[in-house]
This record gives sequence, structure tokens and C-alpha cells, in this order.
Amino acid sequence: MLRSHARLAAFLSVVFIGGHFSACNVVRITLNTPLTPDDVAFIIPGQTTLPEVVDRLGSPDSIGNSNTGMVSIYRFLDMKYARVNFGWLARPWSPVDPDLIFSRTGFGTDAFEVFYDSNGVVIQHSFLRHVTDRTFHPYPF
Amino acid sequence: MRIVHLFLLLVVTAIVIHGCAFSRGTLGDDIKTEVIDSIKKGVTTKSEVLTLLGAPDRVLPLNGRDVYQYYRYDGKVGSLLLIVVNFSRVSIKGDDLFVMLNQNGIVEDVISSKRTENLEFRFWPFGD
Repeated sequence: MLRSHARLAAFLSVVFIGGHFSACNVVRITLNTPLTPDDVAFIIPGQTTLPEVVDRLGSPDSIGNSNTGMVSIYRFLDMKYARVNFGWLARPWSPVDPDLIFSRTGFGTDAFEVFYDSNGVVIQHSFLRHVTDRTFHPYPF
Repeated sequence: MRIVHLFLLLVVTAIVIHGCAFSRGTLGDDIKTEVIDSIKKGVTTKSEVLTLLGAPDRVLPLNGRDVYQYYRYDGKVGSLLLIVVNFSRVSIKGDDLFVMLNQNGIVEDVISSKRTENLEFRFWPFGD
């Protein structure tokens, strides 16, 4: 009984000490719904119309002129940020609070553009940056 | 004995999850569905659109026509502050309404969707 309490006390001490030393941050920011090639596979140039695109993807973020008619743009962002502070490891033994921070941010901005003719039929569509799926990666070098 | 264990479990849980946070931010006024539904193609005029929705956030020229754009953004932030790791997730979505007016000032087309309706507070940054 005493042994299990001692073990629990040790665990609580570690937890309590650790509570003052959070060292890692993982943050993700998503703007709108990130689109993938699978999400837009239903669009067939020469067949799909503007109402069909809006019905599946929602209204675009902006609409503009193009030589052939109009262009609608769906913007999205999937930002991933990871940060590790190795300085925390030295804090129990150091008289000062040292920091050794590694962090990295992947912005993951992209846009999907759809070009229509004057009748609202899709002529062409494409992703702006072809962002691939990024992972949380704090190592900056 | 069970009560002691339960109490200790609560203490450990309270220390391990030593904080969580909820935040929310909005930009623009809510675009009401019934207002959007009241705009009829080929019938509603520019002045009626302005009365119903107010001045647009943007006016876009589109092949000789005017397009009024109204938007609203909603952002929800959830943070889970653990002992050595903090997780945060920020989710932002926008509602956009486009009203296309012909050269006579009559509504030609309306494009809208409510993306903010399904916006939830999320903490876990991994996965979808």
C-alpha cells in the first residue's frame, strides 16, 4: 500500500513539475474547406455548369472577368505550425530560463480556379499551387 | 478506498489537462437565408437588393454587369493545454453571397452558400 502511494506521489510530482514546463505547441489553422483533386473530380469541362459547381463546392470566394467569360476562385488555407522548446529540459537545473526553440510553419495556401464560358459552362479548372499534404514538422533546417 | 482513487484520478486529470480555451471571432453580419430567398431572378431590382442587404462589401465588374458580393466570416478556436504539449485548432469559414445584376439593374443570378453552419470548435490538429 505504502509502495503504491509512494509511486503515485512520485508520478504526481513528475506531473506537477512537468505542468510548469510545457515544451511543445502544435497549432493548425484552417480557412474554408481545403479541396482535393477528388473533391473536384466531378467537374467535366464542356459539360459541368456554374450552378452544379456551386451546388457541390458552395459559393466561391471571388468571381472575376476572364477572356472567355468568368472565373470563380475558391481560396483555402491549411496552416500547420509545430514548436519545440528544448530549453525546458535544462530548467530544473538552471538558474535562468534557457530557451532553445525549433519551430516551423507550413502555410499551405492554395486556391482552386474554375473558368466558365459566357453561358456558365466550365471550360477549364485548376489548382493554383498544388499543395501536397504537409505534416507537423518542427525541425527548421 | 474507491473514493480515494476517484479523487486521485480527478486530481491527476485536473493537473494533466491544466487548461482549455474557447475563442470565437466573426466578421460581417449574418446573411439570412430568408433574405436570400426573397431575391428573385429577373424580378428584383438593384434598389431592392440594397434595401434588403445594405451596401455590398465589394462590387465586381463582370462583362458589363455588376456583381454585388456580401460576405461574413466566422472563426472558432479550441485549445487544449496539456502538460508538455499544447494543441490548438483554428477553423475559419465564410459565407459568400453574389448577386449578379444586368445592365438594366435587374437581378440576373444569385450565388450563395452557408459554410459557417457546420463550423465546430475543434481541438485536435491532426487528421481532417
